[in-house]
Amino acid sequence: MKMEDMALSGPDNTRLEALVHDIYSELVEDACLGLCFEVHRAVKHGYFFLDDTDPESAKEFEIVDQPGLDIFGQVYNQWKNKECECPNCKRLIAASRFAPHLEKCLGMGRNSSRIASRRLASNNNNVSKSESDQEDNDDLNDNDWSYGAEKKSKKRKSDKNQNSPRRSKSLKHKNGDLSSSVTSEAFKYNNYNNAGISYETLGPEEVRSLLTTQCGVISEHTKKMCTRSQRCPQHTDEQRRSVRVFLLGPSASSLPDADATVEADMFELQGDGSGAQSLISRLQWEDSPEISPTDSASSRASTNHSDPRRPKKKKRTSLVLNSTAGGGGGGGVSGEGTSGSLTSGSNGGVSQSNVSLPAKKKRPKLPAPSISSIYDDLN
Amino acid sequence: MSKDSQMRAAINQKLIEMGERERLKELLRAKLVECGWKDQLKAHCKDVIREKGLDHVTVEDLVNEITPKGRALVPDSVKKELLQRIRAFLAQHAAL
Repeated sequence: MKMEDMALSGPDNTRLEALVHDIYSELVEDACLGLCFEVHRAVKHGYFFLDDTDPESAKEFEIVDQPGLDIFGQVYNQWKNKECECPNCKRLIAASRFAPHLEKCLGMGRNSSRIASRRLASNNNNVSKSESDQEDNDDLNDNDWSYGAEKKSKKRKSDKNQNSPRRSKSLKHKNGDLSSSVTSEAFKYNNYNNAGISYETLGPEEVRSLLTTQCGVISEHTKKMCTRSQRCPQHTDEQRRSVRVFLLGPSASSLPDADATVEADMFELQGDGSGAQSLISRLQWEDSPEISPTDSASSRASTNHSDPRRPKKKKRTSLVLNSTAGGGGGGGVSGEGTSGSLTSGSNGGVSQSNVSLPAKKKRPKLPAPSISSIYDDLN
Repeated sequence: MSKDSQMRAAINQKLIEMGERERLKELLRAKLVECGWKDQLKAHCKDVIREKGLDHVTVEDLVNEITPKGRALVPDSVKKELLQRIRAFLAQHAAL
């Protein structure tokens, strides 16, 4: 570059170069002056030496370059080997696992309820009371607590498949008691011994009050009463009746399901899932027995049936007795009875059904004026 | 020579008027900080101050001590670049 400039014109160029250098020198001197002023000001104001550290402090914070230590001289995995005593279960837990263990141990935190309910379900399944000990099962979740973890690991996997809420629907319908016990346990995980309600611990009055509001069927597996509503689809009315008889004696007339036989006649179909089909067959028999509430997916018509029965009691009585198809109605009842569990197809049974109507008021009332019109036509 | 000085004056004036001088100054300052020149010189200042005594340092002392060292410490790359830019400016704007 300089050669090019030199080649342009000799004397001018040298002068030009000199000029350039002069300009450059001026610029550099300006920079130096600037620095001097800055330093002088700092000295006079006393902050010039502030960024220096004295040799003592400098030695204190010297960079450490030893193996096993970081540059501050700390051991980085110092706390890993320490063990802490859990205040709850009094065990020695590794420090890095202490917080999760405490979560499970105290029953707080996000996953502890899930695991506890899972544990409970597996315990109830195996019917072994010793396993419901909190501490032992907590071990399953502590990775660093190797005692019994290996022998229980296989069992854990099967438990997971059985009791996790994500298992297949078929399992749920297969055993209604199990699923209900799992869900109820999920909500009542604090109550470790009593996921449902155990009838043994209740007095007769409590049992009575419970039975009037809940299904109450005693599960074979857990020996607990079903806490679902009276229309719980997993249990038939026959089951409910038998439970009431069992708990309160045969003379439990104060309960809505007193007329057991009649109930069985009219409502045996409630245990089926084919509520819609039974409904259609009933319509054909021009008799409207209690609609099965089992089929929750059933149409409105099925639920509508239950309502007109109660207020329209008198009408139905007249309908049955006056119509020539009264016998047919009884036959229809028995016809339906065959598909269910009980049969007592007779006119007496039919008339009794009307008597039992007022007792049915416990059922949820549903508006269905259209249904009564069908029977008007029949009449 | 007056022509020369006239020319110089004219060029300087042009430099200032066009703002090129300021730009060059800033560029130089930035480059000197970048290359560590400023810190070097500051350390030298500390020595001078310790030598002269903190309370008795004057600007002239500092200037006399620092400037020659400063001029010498400028790295070659910085110097070359600045010269280049000045020449470019002159080639562009000076009527020669």
